[in-house]
Amino acid sequence: MAAAASTRDIRLDLFRGLALWFIFLDHIPTNVVSWLTVRNYGFSDATEIFVYISGYTAVIAYGRMMEREGWIRAAARIYRRVWQLYVAHILLFVAFSAQIAWVSIARDTPALIEEMQLLGLGENPYRAILEAALLKFRPVNLDVLPLYIVLLAAFPLVLPLVVRSPLSVVGASLALYVVTCRYNWSLPAYPDEKVWFFNPFAWQVVFYAGAACAVLGPRLAWLDRFRWPLTALAMAFLLFSAFIALSWHYNPLARLVPAWVSRQIYPIDKTNIDILRFMHFLAIAWLVRLLVPIDAPLLKWRIWQPLRRCGEASLLIFCIGTFLALSGQVIVGQHEDSILSQIVVSIAGIVIMSLAAYVAAWFKAGETARAPRIAKVVE
Amino acid sequence: MRILFLWLATTAALLMPATASSQSMTACRAKPELLKLGSSLPTARRAIAERKHLRIVALGSSSTAGYGVSNPAYAYPMQLRIGLEKALPGIEIEVINRGIGGQDVEEMAARMRADMMPIPPSLVIWQTGTNAAMRHMPIDQFEQRLRDGIKFGQSFGADFVLMSLQYAPAVVALSDQEVYERVMAKVAMDVGAGLFRRYDIMRAWYDDGMPYAQFVQLDGLHLNDFGQKCIGRLLTQSILGALTGP
Repeated sequence: MAAAASTRDIRLDLFRGLALWFIFLDHIPTNVVSWLTVRNYGFSDATEIFVYISGYTAVIAYGRMMEREGWIRAAARIYRRVWQLYVAHILLFVAFSAQIAWVSIARDTPALIEEMQLLGLGENPYRAILEAALLKFRPVNLDVLPLYIVLLAAFPLVLPLVVRSPLSVVGASLALYVVTCRYNWSLPAYPDEKVWFFNPFAWQVVFYAGAACAVLGPRLAWLDRFRWPLTALAMAFLLFSAFIALSWHYNPLARLVPAWVSRQIYPIDKTNIDILRFMHFLAIAWLVRLLVPIDAPLLKWRIWQPLRRCGEASLLIFCIGTFLALSGQVIVGQHEDSILSQIVVSIAGIVIMSLAAYVAAWFKAGETARAPRIAKVVE
Repeated sequence: MRILFLWLATTAALLMPATASSQSMTACRAKPELLKLGSSLPTARRAIAERKHLRIVALGSSSTAGYGVSNPAYAYPMQLRIGLEKALPGIEIEVINRGIGGQDVEEMAARMRADMMPIPPSLVIWQTGTNAAMRHMPIDQFEQRLRDGIKFGQSFGADFVLMSLQYAPAVVALSDQEVYERVMAKVAMDVGAGLFRRYDIMRAWYDDGMPYAQFVQLDGLHLNDFGQKCIGRLLTQSILGALTGP
């Protein structure tokens, strides 16, 4: 555990910021700018990046705390974070519903009011609010935070083990993943018969892959003796998945995919994170590890600053991004899906997210600057 | 601020080629003959004429439940309701969604009683076939379950419209999916049910050059927002055609 957290790993903030931008872009249903995101070039998408980094940072933040202040304190801090996530989710739910209501009322179009109703709010609003509070009712793209909440809520139980024996946690995590896929375990959602879109029993495998890598830290260098075979495998797999992913966009490519290959790979389930998605993410992670080591000079480039700021304030930026994606969807719809509106909306959204992240950093800087002085006064 | 500007410029430059791509492949369409249901839906007609009220049950699996669409309103049952309400002013339209992801014909036939008894519909849209094909259900068994299910449902006095499989990579890869498709057409003909040719409609999109990404989710199986909305709109057209035809 020791060396893993000695310097702040800029890559975590940077790639989490990138994942947040991707999530925003991908959540606008008709958006040419989402061509820039990872999902068009392979099986996995920004969700894997976000969940992996969440597991990674959870170990770094709470592992050190447990070392210094004991398990109870660390667990308490984790549950405080879970509470923050829950509050953020509920706030986002309210803001989301309000935005839809506002659009429906402002434009006074029956179809939109209908849509509002169909989110499940109109038909039985009290029930819907109850189910939202229980995390079972999550309209439109509000699926990621509940996943994160569940993963983090279970984390205190695993934390002492993952710090001591990360590989056995990876083993248990894989076993749970396999059993979940095999027996179709899932969490119930609302309305009836629905299940959680991101199944925590399956997605925990990405979270604990991140957690284990954070614990192993420098020990991962052990893998470097297989550097070339692993790199070759990763490259081959990325090329294969890029070919398949591009075949969804170009029919001539789709016709080149043999039926027996299709039979093996489809469907590429997202709810239970298909093994292809997981492998694709691991291949990317391996190459990123080689190409962007922790001390890579390019990480210090000022051009990445908006990304890093967004990654640092990830909860805030996630909420803003999800909210803005809905606004973006409405605006693009109003302009009949025109490409110009898609580009303007995407850029405006990312600018707003970045500005919000700078403001958050400014607040935080003020707090940390003042903190020592306050401490002295108290003493 | 300069950093933000740099980002904007880079993004704009990267997107130049994307803007050149055409939008002609985004039109929701189907040849008129593919939209003929082959049934005049007598019970539904009577319900509209006599009671000014049409109750529809959408029975099916994940397509009906609207798996993975960004808004439940985009799932075809809701699109059907919105479309029928617009086209039939003064008629009360009710569409009850009884879609449960992952179920095949057997499981749906088994819950038909519970789904229909309390509130008997005039019309049942039965979306099925995909999960049976993916699980390699023996074709005779598939046919028998389908016939039994429709017969049971018809005993409540409802009209039936079968909705066939979706044309998606995971389905196309099966190579015997069209056998299930043909059995559905045959059974529909035999028992006087309508058939909504989802498979043929979607295959025509693909053969016209529309890429999968336009209408299928990235899992290669489920309809995305566009696919659901478009199928909903075309189903509405089909049903209106059957209700107003000779």
